Amino acid sequence: MITVRDLYKEYRVTERGRGLGGTLKALFKQEEKIIKAVNGLDFYVGKGEIVGFIGPNGSGKSTTIKMMTGILAPTSGEVLIDGRNITRYRKEAVRDIGVVFGQRTQLNWDLRLEESFELLRHIYRIEKKDYRETLEVMDSILGVGELLNKPVRQMSLGQRVKGDLTAAMLHSPKVLFLDEPTIGLDVGSKYALRKFIKEINAIKGTTVILTTHDLGDIQELCERLIIINGGVMMEDGNLSEIVERIAPYRTLAVEYYDAVVPEHAKAEILSVSDNVVRYKFMKADMTAAELIRDLSELYPIKDVGIEEAGIDDIIRIAYEMKK
Amino acid sequence: MKKIGSAFAYYLGVTMCNIKMALLTIVEYPSNILGWVISNPIQFLLGFATIKFVVEQFGGINGWSYGQLAFLYGISVLSHAFSMIFFVQGWFMGFFVIEGEFDRFLTRPLSVLYQFFFTNINVFGFTDLIPGILVFLYGCAKTGFSFTASNMVGIMALLIGATLIRGGIYILLGTTSFWTKSANDFGQFVQEIFDKTTMYPLSMYPEAMQLILTFLIPIGWVSFYPVSELMGIETAFSAGGMGVWITLGVGIVTMIAAGLVFRIGLRRYESAGN
Repeated sequence: MITVRDLYKEYRVTERGRGLGGTLKALFKQEEKIIKAVNGLDFYVGKGEIVGFIGPNGSGKSTTIKMMTGILAPTSGEVLIDGRNITRYRKEAVRDIGVVFGQRTQLNWDLRLEESFELLRHIYRIEKKDYRETLEVMDSILGVGELLNKPVRQMSLGQRVKGDLTAAMLHSPKVLFLDEPTIGLDVGSKYALRKFIKEINAIKGTTVILTTHDLGDIQELCERLIIINGGVMMEDGNLSEIVERIAPYRTLAVEYYDAVVPEHAKAEILSVSDNVVRYKFMKADMTAAELIRDLSELYPIKDVGIEEAGIDDIIRIAYEMKK
Repeated sequence: MKKIGSAFAYYLGVTMCNIKMALLTIVEYPSNILGWVISNPIQFLLGFATIKFVVEQFGGINGWSYGQLAFLYGISVLSHAFSMIFFVQGWFMGFFVIEGEFDRFLTRPLSVLYQFFFTNINVFGFTDLIPGILVFLYGCAKTGFSFTASNMVGIMALLIGATLIRGGIYILLGTTSFWTKSANDFGQFVQEIFDKTTMYPLSMYPEAMQLILTFLIPIGWVSFYPVSELMGIETAFSAGGMGVWITLGVGIVTMIAAGLVFRIGLRRYESAGN
């Protein structure tokens, strides 16, 4: 569905010295610096996939999404949407995509929500019958029906995002790009958004590309994760496989009856508080059951808890990894 | 041919929808419109009163009679009004470049330039039409300009061409923001220049300036040359009776050139960081 091939994006930034002197100098001589925002990306996204696209600020993640949606022209390389080069055939290719950028809206601020939809209906040449059907589906998922007569400027952020999601889905795009869609949303709206993504993926088979800093979004929605940093691919694969590989350990918290700190040759002690000791051990070395058995031979155990390495560990580690 | 026809019908449908939205927006803010309806016509009618005063004192400007000046002034204000309706967004292009406002246009299956101008079509611009029509009709009556079929077609060609020249220049100036990365608001400045060079006979300016405003920046074709010909006034360039059509041609060429430069600029578009 989406092919990203050998993608590069460079920006030229003119450097200016400080103060008046620097400004005057810049009038005569401009020093240009080239910033490589995206530095050779290659990947393919298949139909119906939900892909989490993550990276720290300034990683080149937004630049990549903007090249994938036809907003920015790549310095070299190409993005194909359903086989079509989006830079060269922008007008045709963008018919297949829907875009929601969390901080921006494509809705007309001054008018009722339905007026914005009406314009999109003309722009995408959507038949009235199809329009009504899509709207009904979106109403059943998001409850957007009751918002149609409300001026966008009077909406809460959660309502506005619902409006934007519906707007992006009106022409039934094959791919939906969501850039930080949950930013600033309350728990209820976040839940509605996640439900929406799952359902359009299930009902319409829409491919979803999602960038987020919200770990909950990723854990709940994405099977596949692409991590990018410094403009290059750090990780691309199945979420649980990445977890397995980057963080192949678990943490076992053991509560004893007394304040004791028994050690184990294959486990590292992370913390001790009151009667609770937390052990970190590699999954490959032993099972949690073996560790519990060994420890219980030393001291009586009151309670245990197992913590998997979380997605936040993965992201932290991936962000820290240098190329 | 059929394909062009359906594309035209498509853009027309979207345009009607945009106009409807623009009108609905006005209804949302009714107090704004009153200010425009009052202040815009007054501004131009006062300008015209100044001309009347000058002509009465000196008996004409550079061989132009009072009626002929009214005709010229009318054409200038009318083309200004049309350019305000369709192309005023060009004044704010820098803001769109810096703030990343082209993003949403780029993700839609329509020409970016079309969306830029027509998404925020300025229906208020019609308030400028009022003084334009009044002064123009006054000039027609004074000079005995008759509304024959060929004259009507000529005036239409002239107004379309003049509007395209103005619009093309707005785009060309606005497009510089893709390179400078700054949001220069050049609107007032351009308006000043256009007012001073299209409302009065260009022949009253030094020759060097006339040459620039004829060949380098085609402002002379907005009103001076075609109107001179219609009024039977000789200028440095004889258009051989084709003045209004040359204006139309210059307008189309200016607009095409502006569109091409815009496309080159758009490739340098950097959106805005989140």
